Amino acid sequence: MKLLAAILLALPVFGDDGLDPAKLLAPPSDTWPTYNGDYSGRRYSKLSEINQSNVEQLTVAWVATLRTAAIKSTPLVVNGIMYMTTPDNVWALDARNGRTIWHYFRESQGDHIGQRGVGMYKDWLYFETPDCHLISLNAKDGTVRWDIELADPKLGYFATMAPLVIKDHVLVGVSGDVTDIPGFLESIDPATGKLQWRWYSEPKPGEPGSETWPKGTDAITHGGGMTWITGTYDPKLNLTYWGTGNPQPVLNGDQRQGDNLYTCSIVALDPDTGKLKWYFQPSPHDTHDWDAAQTPILFEDMKNGVERKLIAQANRNGYFFVMDRSTGEHILTKPFIATNWAQGIDSHGQPRPKKEKEPKPDGALVSPGSDGATNWMAPSYDPGSGLYFISARRLWSVFYMTADSKPEGWAGRDRNLWAQSVIEGIDPKTGDIRWQHEIGDGEGAAGILTTAGKLLFTQDNSDNLLALDPGTGKTLWHVPIGGRMVASPMTFELEGRQYLITAIQNSIFAWAIPRKN
Amino acid sequence: MKLSGAVLLLAPLAFSQPKPPAFDMAAVERGRVQFKSSCGFCHADDATGNRAPDLIRSALLSHDVNGDMLAPVIKNGRPEKDMPAFSTLSDKTIADMVAFLHKQAYDAMHSAGVPNDYPLAKLLTGNAADGKAYFNGAGGCSGCHSPIGDLAGVAKRYGPVALQQRFLYPSRGVKITATVTLRDGRKMEGVVVHGDEFEIAITGADGWYHSWKRSEVNVVIHDPMAAHQALMEKYTDKDMHDLFAYLETLQ
Repeated sequence: MKLLAAILLALPVFGDDGLDPAKLLAPPSDTWPTYNGDYSGRRYSKLSEINQSNVEQLTVAWVATLRTAAIKSTPLVVNGIMYMTTPDNVWALDARNGRTIWHYFRESQGDHIGQRGVGMYKDWLYFETPDCHLISLNAKDGTVRWDIELADPKLGYFATMAPLVIKDHVLVGVSGDVTDIPGFLESIDPATGKLQWRWYSEPKPGEPGSETWPKGTDAITHGGGMTWITGTYDPKLNLTYWGTGNPQPVLNGDQRQGDNLYTCSIVALDPDTGKLKWYFQPSPHDTHDWDAAQTPILFEDMKNGVERKLIAQANRNGYFFVMDRSTGEHILTKPFIATNWAQGIDSHGQPRPKKEKEPKPDGALVSPGSDGATNWMAPSYDPGSGLYFISARRLWSVFYMTADSKPEGWAGRDRNLWAQSVIEGIDPKTGDIRWQHEIGDGEGAAGILTTAGKLLFTQDNSDNLLALDPGTGKTLWHVPIGGRMVASPMTFELEGRQYLITAIQNSIFAWAIPRKN
Repeated sequence: MKLSGAVLLLAPLAFSQPKPPAFDMAAVERGRVQFKSSCGFCHADDATGNRAPDLIRSALLSHDVNGDMLAPVIKNGRPEKDMPAFSTLSDKTIADMVAFLHKQAYDAMHSAGVPNDYPLAKLLTGNAADGKAYFNGAGGCSGCHSPIGDLAGVAKRYGPVALQQRFLYPSRGVKITATVTLRDGRKMEGVVVHGDEFEIAITGADGWYHSWKRSEVNVVIHDPMAAHQALMEKYTDKDMHDLFAYLETLQ
């Protein structure tokens, strides 16, 4: 066995060139080469060695405890090496035993709220930092090839997301929501670090969309719309799909009357040029911090014998949206928790906000609270059951608008009252909730993975790792793991063995079916 | 299943600032007055912009350290943008204005919060008589609470914003209990220590911790918060403000 393993490890799946971006179109089962595992955002693995018949035998294959803050990222696995991150840190680990191969550390100023992972192109990794830099590392040894500033951290920019590699483009987004700064997505040359294009979340005055901002003020140039979370990509349509963040100031929209495009929107861009093909805005004129950064998942269905290319998002505002991903044509809007902020769904499929549920000096009782009916935790789509899975919350909050003069920054905040979390299986054909699995009081923070083993992996709010039946939501396996998962599970195959990876606080647990040594 | 909510609700704030800078508030106040008189006409009294740009959002202020960038602009003006020079202002006066601008920017960057001393006058918009009627009627509050019993003097015990939070959802100090029926028919009661899909744990009448697999016992949870949870979907904002106005009368 050992000899075989050595041979297998010595033969990199991708040859001498690390990760060929063409391989991202159909990732082999021994890799997880991008934030969501593939371009579709489904977080569905075709691996089935771990399945409903043997999940109860799952055992710990290895544990790696990193000296760091809580892990909030999804690692990549390429050629038997795992690349894991936290703010300021990247580790390369041996995916068979969790041992560190190299560790990169770069201390920085800026918001250390989280780090979602790296992107990879050939032998190179791409890593974003709290002071809003993008760093290219040599995947072999963690040495720095180049280091560029994406945006000025003094203005309030920081960076958390995992870059998305598409052909010869590294797509990078930025974060920041305490100052009134514009969001953007940009494409970087993987070799040189040079800017290829930049798309701003707000149009320039006079361009289409600018009519959704007040004229003659600076609101549009300070409008927010951060690109917090890695997007998805359809290679045939050559469109990449991204969710944008909330407008600024966050909780008060008086100085930015209008729908505030393209904040709180799902946008389809040409990855070669950054040109906008279509958009859909789930939260017009948001005043509740409900960004639209949740992963927009790509999938297909059949209607009247014709295949439809679809995109769906379970949005932080409590509604589930389905669109045609070629055109952006709206197909479906349906709430997945009880909300009280919308007066109805308009002819475009957008929930229109009630003025009286905007934050008020004396408070407005709103569901969901600003933490959202869901948030950055990864959703999943399982082609087996045809269901879309989310970690959802019933969350009630009082929103206060505290500014006495011109609102800037947040201009207020909500105070959470009560939250209850639930894993939901949604039928994307109808928007109906097929099943709900209660995971307890408080806010769930774990993402979801589904597999061809007919398993759904996540965590409840009592620190139990869970495997559920994706068809019914019933529990098939659980382990009290003694810590929180504030990351999303992933899986890969190495030397013919399937591993399930769960990051619990600052430890990585690798699970597998027992084998004789 | 209704536990640990209080802990999990403490979501991290969006921005973690290591330590708030120490502002010389006397200088800030002098700077406020001076800024209003010299600059307010164009930049607005609070520096958020009028005919001239919003300074709170400006890159110049973001990059300034103790006036190293702002002071020369104030002194020399920006003739190309029609900003006059304020060459007669003393260095100390300019330092005061710089302190004021940094305090304004700091406040904007840290406006994601509701202070515990949030003023009563802002919250007190409801009608106390309507609130009393709701308390005794539609809200069903009088079923568990009394203005001369547990709520006597409640407005003295809590600041205004805390009182509003607590009457809506008093998550702290509320004890959830459970009755656990064992397979042999014995019943045990106590305060719930932990409950999830798989296990239930209580502190029994004997003072000891007891836990069981949920599949082995029958569990009935007594959650005094259930009525508060049910009200969430029923309250209008007027109900909330009226009830608050009524509770504020319980001094």
